[in-house]
Amino acid sequence: MDSTKKYWKGLDERNNASEFVESNKHEFAEALPIEDVLEGAGLSAPTPRRDFLKTMGFGLGAVSLAACTVAPTKKSVPYLIKPEEVTSGIPNYYASSYKGASILVKTREGRPIKVEGNPACTINSGSLDAQAQASVLDLYDTAKLKSPLLNGVEHPWEDIDAYAKAGLNKAQAAGKTIAIVTSTVNSPSTKAVIAAFTAKYPATKHVAYDAISYSGIINANKNSFGKAVLPQYKFNNAKVIVSFGADFLGSWISPLQYTKQYVSNRNAASLKSKKMSRHIQFETGLSLTGTKADSRIALKPSEEGIALVNLYAELSGQATSAKLNNAIAEKAIKLVAKELSAAKGAALVVSGSNDEHTQSLVNAINSLLGSYGTTIDLDNPSYQYTGNEADFMALVTQMKAGSVGAVLFLDSNPAYNYCDCKGFKEALTKVATKISFSDKNDETASLCDAVAINHNYLEAWGDSNPVEGYYAITQPTINPVYNSRQAEESLLQWADNPVKDYYTFVKANWEATVLPLAGKTWADVLQAGFVSLPAKAITPITLSGDISATIATVISESKKMAAAVELHLYNSVALGDGKQGNNPFLQELPDGVSKVTWDNYAALNPKYAQKLGIAEFDLVTLKSDTYSIDLPVLFQPGQAHETVSVALGYGREKVGKVGDGVGKNAYPFLATNGAVTITKIEGYYELAQTQTHHSFEGRDIIREATFAEYLENPAHGSGNHGEKHKTYDLWQKFEQPGHNWVMAIDLNACTGCGACIVACNAENNVPVVGKDEVYRRREMHWIRIDRYYSYNEENKSITEEKEIDEIEGRMENVSVVHQPMMCQHCEHAPCETVCPVLATVHSSEGINHMAYNRCVGTRYCANNCPYKVRRFNWFNYWNDSRFDNYLNNEFTQLALNPDVTTRFRGVMEKCSMCVQRIQAGKLKAKIDKTTLKDGDVKMACQQTCPANAIIFGDANDPESEVSKALTDERVYYVLEELNVQPGVGYMTKITNTGSHEA
Amino acid sequence: MRNFSSGFKNLVKSITLFTFFIFSLPTLVCAQTTAVDTSKAAASTVATAPSGDAAAGEALFKANCTSCHALNKRVLGPALAGVNNRHNEAWLIKWIKNSPAMVASGDKEAVKIYEEYNKAAMTPFPQFSDDDVKNILAYIKVEGDKGPVDKTDGPKLPPSADAGYSNYMIFGLIAVVIVAFLVILLLNKVIGTLERLLLKRDNAGITLLEDEQLDENHQPKDKLYIARKLVKNKKLVFFVVLCGVLTLGSFGWMDLWNTGVQTGYQPVQPIKFSHQLHAGTNQIKCQYCHSSAWKSKHASIPSANVCMNCHKYVQATEKYNGEISPEIKKIYAALDYNPETQKYGENTRPIEWIRIHNLPDLAYFNHSQHVKVAGIECEKCHGPIKEMAEVYQYSPLTMKWCINCHRVTEVNSKGNAYYDKVLAAHEKIKKGEKVTAAVLGGLECGKCHY
Repeated sequence: MDSTKKYWKGLDERNNASEFVESNKHEFAEALPIEDVLEGAGLSAPTPRRDFLKTMGFGLGAVSLAACTVAPTKKSVPYLIKPEEVTSGIPNYYASSYKGASILVKTREGRPIKVEGNPACTINSGSLDAQAQASVLDLYDTAKLKSPLLNGVEHPWEDIDAYAKAGLNKAQAAGKTIAIVTSTVNSPSTKAVIAAFTAKYPATKHVAYDAISYSGIINANKNSFGKAVLPQYKFNNAKVIVSFGADFLGSWISPLQYTKQYVSNRNAASLKSKKMSRHIQFETGLSLTGTKADSRIALKPSEEGIALVNLYAELSGQATSAKLNNAIAEKAIKLVAKELSAAKGAALVVSGSNDEHTQSLVNAINSLLGSYGTTIDLDNPSYQYTGNEADFMALVTQMKAGSVGAVLFLDSNPAYNYCDCKGFKEALTKVATKISFSDKNDETASLCDAVAINHNYLEAWGDSNPVEGYYAITQPTINPVYNSRQAEESLLQWADNPVKDYYTFVKANWEATVLPLAGKTWADVLQAGFVSLPAKAITPITLSGDISATIATVISESKKMAAAVELHLYNSVALGDGKQGNNPFLQELPDGVSKVTWDNYAALNPKYAQKLGIAEFDLVTLKSDTYSIDLPVLFQPGQAHETVSVALGYGREKVGKVGDGVGKNAYPFLATNGAVTITKIEGYYELAQTQTHHSFEGRDIIREATFAEYLENPAHGSGNHGEKHKTYDLWQKFEQPGHNWVMAIDLNACTGCGACIVACNAENNVPVVGKDEVYRRREMHWIRIDRYYSYNEENKSITEEKEIDEIEGRMENVSVVHQPMMCQHCEHAPCETVCPVLATVHSSEGINHMAYNRCVGTRYCANNCPYKVRRFNWFNYWNDSRFDNYLNNEFTQLALNPDVTTRFRGVMEKCSMCVQRIQAGKLKAKIDKTTLKDGDVKMACQQTCPANAIIFGDANDPESEVSKALTDERVYYVLEELNVQPGVGYMTKITNTGSHEA
Repeated sequence: MRNFSSGFKNLVKSITLFTFFIFSLPTLVCAQTTAVDTSKAAASTVATAPSGDAAAGEALFKANCTSCHALNKRVLGPALAGVNNRHNEAWLIKWIKNSPAMVASGDKEAVKIYEEYNKAAMTPFPQFSDDDVKNILAYIKVEGDKGPVDKTDGPKLPPSADAGYSNYMIFGLIAVVIVAFLVILLLNKVIGTLERLLLKRDNAGITLLEDEQLDENHQPKDKLYIARKLVKNKKLVFFVVLCGVLTLGSFGWMDLWNTGVQTGYQPVQPIKFSHQLHAGTNQIKCQYCHSSAWKSKHASIPSANVCMNCHKYVQATEKYNGEISPEIKKIYAALDYNPETQKYGENTRPIEWIRIHNLPDLAYFNHSQHVKVAGIECEKCHGPIKEMAEVYQYSPLTMKWCINCHRVTEVNSKGNAYYDKVLAAHEKIKKGEKVTAAVLGGLECGKCHY
């Protein structure tokens, strides 16, 4: 163990606060009040004996009576006419798509219960993000409307149609605009429907705007190259990646796609071939992407533009007057410029800014670096975000002027996520006909006269064209649960289109456009789920126009932004833009960096907060000139000084019982230039964090090496050198003749996005416990992603390139390692030996089994588990009114996986290695009389991981992927020294500090 | 007081007598019913005195026609009563022998019938001689002239769910009577004691009372004396109490072990479906109906459309005097199927079977693993299903029962490539041992509980 780094999970631990040490001595957060009962009022009460006898007598009587009843009669009701494709007990999979990514929907007896990535999909190749994984719960959302509304009252569809047609005709006749407000529409069929609608009502105007907008890039590309598109980035072709505030692994444009590309240059295979990309991140708050960066420099938002100007100057050799007031960043820019120009043709610079001038400057830099055609593809653009807020702004002005006669909201919620929502609400009152296609009475729908409730995507037909040449189909997997109607069908209905049925419309549209191009039939598409056409040839591109004006604008804009405290708004990885605010899986998914659940917060650098005299979890008011909110403070290492970061997507008011009032809405801040004041106010609000729940007591469980060290010795930092200690076993060796299921996790690949957590929740019926319970350390997640901070303590000799890393002292320069942690299925499991009832035992296939019905809840096992992965059911989460808002209602429980039992109060649970999947896979092989091949059985977490960081398989099969992975020199086992012989191997994290050419 | 007491004693006696009477009553009633039935049967035999042609025709009719025709009811084909009047004999002979040919030749009447019955051609019977047909027609005439059978004379519905409850009710009544009887005896005893106490107080002389008692009850005194002596023997008391505790304890213990074990559970089902008839007599393979047993974890109760594969045609009319079996009618009712028009309606109503084999949710059981992979016969767990008119739970379905079977059953690994590798690895460790399910991990918790 040659790592001298010190890691820490939270600030308390780093500062070694005595309370922290004290509170973490215990396995469970709160001691049970046994002593109180025994010593306090319990026994000295006047008549404890009589009460005791009474209770006992009553209990005995009740139990005897209850035992006398005959077992309840259970009914078994078969289908009257069984659909041919349904076999009860066997899942059916349907190819569909979610936000353009091709998915497979698993249905059981007609209910969708899980969403999985389509392995053939060229965008996600089988992986999915947390939001898509959680989306199945949106179908079973209790907040959904059951019938369309007219003036707040349920009405039949005929009334809605009559109202809509009358309103539309009136607007058309009066010569007023009919506006269809949507978020990005990349569905060819929806576009065709809107065109058909426009043909009937020529006054129609389609306005697309996105809550999180990328119009800056689109406009910049229009200015620079005359192509108003969002390009496709090719991170897999980039050897040096420099990002200015773009969280491309977490939330920027298409994180799933980018993670795949990014990791392909940093995973085990790439390292084996001695290749690793270099990634430098300049940003304000610590983002998921920032945690993965080889070098990370904290910057204020106002410094980003200046930094880019400086970088351009360095690369182009022109001098610039703009000076960075940040010595570290200035130095870093110089080094970065050197590295970038060395990697010309394989370099990529991206910026998270939505300012078109900044993006034009980025275009100029990429053009200098020869990125176009290699790492940026403008000829096969992305259509994932095409919204333009300027159009919407114009519409609001028009609405205010009273020239809009009717407005239809499709998949958009400006009353919540538009920056000037007050102005919008005011403008909306001046529109005569207001119709929303929302499926719930959300912020905007509740201001509309009619809510023509739309299908959930799992009930609907549809299609999408997220990137050039790629078309995905959406097909229904369940009959509409409520009296909803597809929005497109409503539009067709109102436009008196001859085709009223959207299925027929989509099919006809595909048969006319996409299918002939691909040479496929409709049936092919329904089976495959998508069509991928060959990519268009790349045409050489030249930057048009003079850049100096742009630079001048960027400099002046940046100067305007500079303030005493600068606000940085970011997109939460879990909740995104907040559309899925009522999804309990996502609300309870810990943030990838801060590990906070159920809230947004004001992230401050601890050192800076000290200066301001603010303690962690103090309430502060963030105030701009037009808007203010009160938020609790979170100390975030890595945060730039004099800045505060707040996540968007929180503070929903009308989304449902789960999400209402969770966090505060930060969208109105988008209207400001980012200058805020921070005022401490009365109050203390402790955030529910999952990470600080256990102490790892400084043990050597995270291992890292630099790429240079790795090249010298692949085993560097992994602890695998020379001879190991001789070990002695108390137990006999457990034979595993058949299978031996093990796992390998590549810390260098894991980005900490949390998709695995949600996938595990959905697969294994893991309950959602809510904020209070998380706060009491009672979250139930079977897999967690531990985030460890560290910084270099020693003053090692500093090479020029390494200098970037050696900038310390301001709590800005932290590096992060994400470590997925679940039951390690130890061969010599400490939990097994302490269970008094043998409820947890080992199997001959290397799995640590947990028999819930045997468990009596002593919790010894959790106490004795060195990895702290066991979870105790403090409540009967599936049948307890306290959890009604989450999963304890009959409707939401339709999403349960029938192959996994729901656990009762008082029993332990933990990762089972998806034993139901293993058993199903084995059974399938037995029925087919074939061998079980590697990859036939996949864990839910492994399946969804966009980085392929988790590999699962049979260690008895020397050809399996996992067997090969575990022979890697980087493999180490967490707490190996305890000789519990874990079944999960980890691979050291490698950081490319750039001292060697990648 | 004496008077009251003796009066009470008389009451007890009369109640006892009454109870005996009640017990004997059902037997008497049963005997009477049987007698009535026999007389009815005798009467009907007399009424249908056989006539020459019709008797021969009856045999032919029942052998060949009843699967599609009834006399007074439209089944697959038309009701046949009065057919002699609707068509002339020559036409009928020709029709019965080869109706498709007649339809093809364009005979007006033939085409009309063909169209009316959804273009379902009647099976030709070329093997019949003209006389055979005439005999059949004679039978139809004789029987058809009698008119529809009176509904009340029709077969009684098989005992439905009520029968099950009535059994409970009888036992319940008996229990109530017994308990009441015991209560009365006890009260009697109490009254006796109270009387003695009263006497004691009235006479205010203990010795006198005792003397009096001794005088009055010589017999009881001796008996009580022995009893007292026995009660004073502490060893005996201890022994008796011990025996009592042991007996009750062992009964209790056995009972606890059998809590929730439902072996023999035989609920009354909404449809009197007989496995004996279908799987036994008719030799229908189990998996024709329970088709998912070999591919899914559920064997599943067949959906009604599977029933209709046969029961669209098989209506057991021959057993119910030309009427469709009332049980088969229940399938039709569930599907809202009209056998007259052969059309399905909208007003469907699922059949709510009572589940017999209930495994707790915590236990995962997969039929296909056992049926398809292991090749175990259904009867191994479900018992002599082919002899069950009504299905009952044959196996205890306890974990012990599962485990015992896993311990002794050899894995059916022949010709299954999946096992080849697993067994080869296994051979190295345990040479020559019988490979049972248990050896391959079939006893591990997580194989069934997750």
